[in-house]
Amino acid sequence: MAVSGLTIFSPILESDAMGIEHASSVRRYLATLPRTHNSPFARVPSTHFARLVVMDDVVFVGAPAREEHLTSRYLLFEATFDSDLDTYLARMAREIPDHVDSIWSHCVGYPGAVDPTAFVGYMKKCQVEATFSFADVSDRTVQQNLKALQVQSALAHFIERNQGRPATEIQMAFGVLLESLAKAPPPLPGGIDSETTAAENGTHD
Amino acid sequence: MTNVNAADIQGFVLRGYNFPVARYLFLEISQDNGRHFVSRLTPQITTGEPWDKKPRSTVNIAFTYKGLVNLNLPTLALFSFPADFVQGMKERGAILNDTGKNSSEHWDLMWNEEQVHAWLSVDALSANELDHRCAELQELMQETGGAVVIGSQDACAVLIDGKYTNTEHFGYTYGFGNPDYLGVMRNSGPGQGKLEYDGRWGVLATGELLLGYRNEAGNLPDAPVPKLLAKNGTFMVYRKLHQNVAAFRNYLDDQGRRYPGGREKLASKFVGRWRDGTPVELSPHHPDPDIVADHNRNMNFTYSSDLNGSRCPIGAHIRRGNPRDAFGFNGQLVNRRRIARRGVPYGQYVPEGLPVRDEDERGMIFMALNASISGQFEYICQQWIEYGNDARQGIEKDLLAGNHNGRGRFIITGTEDPSDPPFVCGNIPNFVEVRGGDYFFVPSITALTMIAGGTIDPR
Repeated sequence: MAVSGLTIFSPILESDAMGIEHASSVRRYLATLPRTHNSPFARVPSTHFARLVVMDDVVFVGAPAREEHLTSRYLLFEATFDSDLDTYLARMAREIPDHVDSIWSHCVGYPGAVDPTAFVGYMKKCQVEATFSFADVSDRTVQQNLKALQVQSALAHFIERNQGRPATEIQMAFGVLLESLAKAPPPLPGGIDSETTAAENGTHD
Repeated sequence: MTNVNAADIQGFVLRGYNFPVARYLFLEISQDNGRHFVSRLTPQITTGEPWDKKPRSTVNIAFTYKGLVNLNLPTLALFSFPADFVQGMKERGAILNDTGKNSSEHWDLMWNEEQVHAWLSVDALSANELDHRCAELQELMQETGGAVVIGSQDACAVLIDGKYTNTEHFGYTYGFGNPDYLGVMRNSGPGQGKLEYDGRWGVLATGELLLGYRNEAGNLPDAPVPKLLAKNGTFMVYRKLHQNVAAFRNYLDDQGRRYPGGREKLASKFVGRWRDGTPVELSPHHPDPDIVADHNRNMNFTYSSDLNGSRCPIGAHIRRGNPRDAFGFNGQLVNRRRIARRGVPYGQYVPEGLPVRDEDERGMIFMALNASISGQFEYICQQWIEYGNDARQGIEKDLLAGNHNGRGRFIITGTEDPSDPPFVCGNIPNFVEVRGGDYFFVPSITALTMIAGGTIDPR
């Protein structure tokens, strides 16, 4: 398995000295984070997918009605990523410590990103073992997927330009293509086609 | 289930009329007299009852959300309509990918300068009959003061050699497939409903077409209250699709010269049917008029033995719009995404070889009926026409209908046969542009009577 998943619930502190709820503060901070190619998680390049949710409470759906409450509010962090959990979390602490601090400093017992080992230990303490996680990425690393998309796109363009030409010319052109692909810099996270539309990126029920 | 009550259902919901000419009048409804107009109009509405003799013309009506507001429906009833319908096509533009050339600021003026409240549709046997019936309806609007016409759209089957045909402007024969539904009587062959587990073709649940009946999930579709307002009604998508015929023919010429199978075979790969209508899945190398004429065969095919698309390309228009069993699970994944289509061309047909311009008014009035606009029409448009992931086609779009912005790509898988090789079409322009449209509620006759009488009680 190249790709792993995590589910982490960190209890959120109540109110700060000014009486402002930490849950509101972290929610406000999360709302400012860019979600596309300039997301902070793009700087942790082994991230396929990351999601942060402030969970205020749970609501029982069913009959007869039942009132239930969580013992605290929780910050839910879900991600799918390459490598093992320790390596990934340590990388987060190293690559985006400011964001990590701004987010998890609202949580109970947070040790800070300055000591990656302590941060990894803290996150793992809050981890919930998921028995089944799903990552729709063909079990290839982020870099492998980006490279594959780059090759696919280049090959399709190559065929468009060269189909129907004599075999020797195609072979020569193909050699040039392979060489340029080998030399091409690794594609940037966020995809090759930056002009994708809302519909392409959108979700649907 | 016994058959649905066709006398309570507007006729075009249950089947296409196959009249040669049509006019769609777009109305602004008067808040004061709108209900009076609907009351006088309702007895004229063409229902789904079978005809002893084909009438000379038909009349049907459907309303936008704003139209229902002006008809003074109770607030509780208005608030119970699904959000997709309430928002309307323009506001749903991000889902439909109505961006660039397709964005609503480029639509026909009426859609931007007026508020469309109702779609009043007249189909007729001849242009004279059409004018006559429309004049009668105009009189009724004036007499009641209930509505004014703010725009109209003529549509007409394409005339070739003096005969009305089922040809559209790109030269394809259209109008083969429409789903079969439980309880809806129709003359149709196998291949139009859903695949059963034993491989036979069955009918879709009525609730995929009509409100008030079980759908394929075993639920009642999301519908307004009271139930009587919804039952036997449905939602209609009206979308005016301009066709860039010159761009299409130039592209086909250009690519056809390079495609070893030749121009017509390439045209067949685009759509999944040869231009005479022969499904390429059944006849990949040549058109076959015997198949086209045979109702037991012209819709009767599946893709499970052609998963790589070597007969019918995975991205071909009819395979995108109705993937049948191409996604596995014996076709179960598409049963909730089917729509009934009532398309009619508009504008002058120009035969191949004659000069033609993209600017001329010419295209297809696309109308679709479904119980859930978001679950059916919008899903097909967003996921299967404007995107390719379900079919493992990445970000590729439907070649004919996609909003490509010149960046489109279409892959013909091909075989090892030299006349049938793999081929990639690139730099695809927009062959089709959206010029307007909206979402409409198509009430039953009972519901029209309730609307007209102000007797809707949603409590």
